[in-house]
Amino acid sequence: MNESILFLTTFILYIISAFFYFSFLFSKKENLARIGFKFAFSGLLIHTVALILRTFESGHAPFTNMYESLSFFAWSSILAYIIIEFKYKIRKAGPYFMLIVIALMALASSPLMPKEATPLVPALQSYWLWLHVSVTLLGEAFFAIAFITSIMYLVADSKERKGIKSVLSSEKLDSVSYKCIAIGFPLFTLGGLVFGMIWAYYAWGRVWSWDPKETWSLITWFVFALYLHTRIVMGWKGRRSAYVAIIGFLAALFTYFGVNYVLAGLHSYA
Amino acid sequence: MKSLWNFFNSVKLAIFLLIIITLSSILGTLIPQNRSLDEYVAHYGQFANLLNRFQLTNLYHSLWFLSLLFLFALNILICTLTRFPAKFRKAFQPKLIKDKKNILVLKIKGSLGKNWGLAKTKEELKKELSSRHYRLKEEVEENKAFLLARKRTLGLFGADFVHLGLLIILAGGIISGFGGFRKNLTLSEGDILDIPNAEFKLRLDKFETEYYPDGNVRDWKSTLTVIENEKQILSKIIEVNHPLSYRGFVFYQSSYGWNWTNTSVEIWVKKRKDPSFLRKIDITVGERVRLEGENIQISFIHFIPDFVLNEKNEAATRSLQPNNPAAFIEGWEGDEKIISGWIFAKFPDFSRIHSEKETDLSFELKNFKASQYSGIEAAKDPGVNIIWLGCTFLMIGLAFAFYWPSREIKIILEETQGKTGVTAGGIASKNREDFQSEFDEIMTSLRRLR
Repeated sequence: MNESILFLTTFILYIISAFFYFSFLFSKKENLARIGFKFAFSGLLIHTVALILRTFESGHAPFTNMYESLSFFAWSSILAYIIIEFKYKIRKAGPYFMLIVIALMALASSPLMPKEATPLVPALQSYWLWLHVSVTLLGEAFFAIAFITSIMYLVADSKERKGIKSVLSSEKLDSVSYKCIAIGFPLFTLGGLVFGMIWAYYAWGRVWSWDPKETWSLITWFVFALYLHTRIVMGWKGRRSAYVAIIGFLAALFTYFGVNYVLAGLHSYA
Repeated sequence: MKSLWNFFNSVKLAIFLLIIITLSSILGTLIPQNRSLDEYVAHYGQFANLLNRFQLTNLYHSLWFLSLLFLFALNILICTLTRFPAKFRKAFQPKLIKDKKNILVLKIKGSLGKNWGLAKTKEELKKELSSRHYRLKEEVEENKAFLLARKRTLGLFGADFVHLGLLIILAGGIISGFGGFRKNLTLSEGDILDIPNAEFKLRLDKFETEYYPDGNVRDWKSTLTVIENEKQILSKIIEVNHPLSYRGFVFYQSSYGWNWTNTSVEIWVKKRKDPSFLRKIDITVGERVRLEGENIQISFIHFIPDFVLNEKNEAATRSLQPNNPAAFIEGWEGDEKIISGWIFAKFPDFSRIHSEKETDLSFELKNFKASQYSGIEAAKDPGVNIIWLGCTFLMIGLAFAFYWPSREIKIILEETQGKTGVTAGGIASKNREDFQSEFDEIMTSLRRLR
């Protein structure tokens, strides 16, 4: 058994899961969603083994290049989704969320992503790598769910205005979006900003350099801070909140991918 | 004064500032920061001056950006201070609700009746609430009792901790910005350097680069010794991610390089017509060596690690990395210079030797050696511990706010003719669904009790 076979197996399990979730969406048979969930869960297990194997094979954290980090982000996303699905029963979000996961896995498998494990450059040889990246990506996984539920909110809301009721009400979607952000925001703050600052201090000698990736993670943080304040203090709900959540996740995505390809900076290796 | 206070005591202002700061930060990532004016002119043409004028080329340290941050900090401070006393009273000197109307306006509420007297109903209710870790406060009037059950009260202060943390981080940043100091030091093995503004010296004992089997750099390691009053205080091997801290100074492994000014090279001298002829000379920049058995002296004038011809067709170096090492040598017969030119380590066929006189000699640059220096960044960052303190507050605050939401249940018990009516209402700062189900469980279990 090696890591790439396990990765492929995981990918196939996620695709099967998405297939069942979509069948559920069209046939409305709850049972199919349950099967989809089980496939996603077994995918998560195999994926976990793949990541552990990768760690042993490479001798370092399984998120030091784009392939590894995409795979880890997919793993965090499934983990986050399973937690949220288990707690709030948002089955209808399953098919759409699986699409995000499959997109991440497909991107990771694309021939453009070098897959071989390379030895770590000196700057990455730190235990803070583990903490900084894993906690940040887990936080962003919850933002990803909020992104999906916010888009679903917008659709459900405009349907409800026309008098079409849905099993997953817009009110519930709005509240699940908020909950995901309430879980993700502290994680993102801790992993992305605080751990990032601590590591930067040890590696570069300064806690903050206004490097583009740092700045964009702060921008992401600002957008979600805006979400929370407009909601908690000013009582925003519904459409306006959903738009802010969507912008927030897009900012997080840009921090994650965009900065690497568009803006140069200190974070050039990740 | 009062209107100024009110101006800053506004959440709308906070939102407005947050949006402006976010947009400014985005702008700063779109315009490359802290480049030379030439680069801006090349890239933006006539707009370069405009960028400079509005400090967009050093946006994050510009007066206007820092002023925005300052206004934002003031805004946070005043908003937090204004709301704090009421919140404090609510948390630590709570008032019991004695009017049912005030309970019935709450979103989470319920009522029930028991065939018990007031005292028993109250005891059972208290038992149930205590088992769920609620702390209780009560007051009894004839036929009536008022209860206040609360838990996770600190959750109320989550946002205040977060805001305090942010202010502390900003304060730390200001202290670092004004009181901080950093300097790049370059040390070769054996060098002793006075540390500016400090009472001690630093010596580099050893510098080495470690490689992976595939040739990539694994690490740079500098062995540093701190010398204070002529005494060696401590030695430490520093590497990337593992700096040395001493007396408020931190020393980072930040770069490395070669001292090309005293490069030594090995030059092979051959004769075209005599294949058996080979002389190897070891020579350092600035030296002149007689070629054994020949009436010629070789001078090593200059060394370039990364040879390139610039626009004026002059020899220059593209970088300080040994990508294209080249040596400029001269050959002298007595007082007469007979040859001069460049020889290249990587391109022996491209030697550009200029001869004044017919000669059969050819030169090859075989080896080069220069001492490596270690680039060490010395930094004093007096604000950093304050920043860590702020981060701690920030995280404690977020944990309180999101994972430790406060819950409060207000209850009025009324006894009439041996029966007791219970009216209860609850408030949760977050996660109302979970609270609702807990509230319902409490009511149900009380209802079922016989």
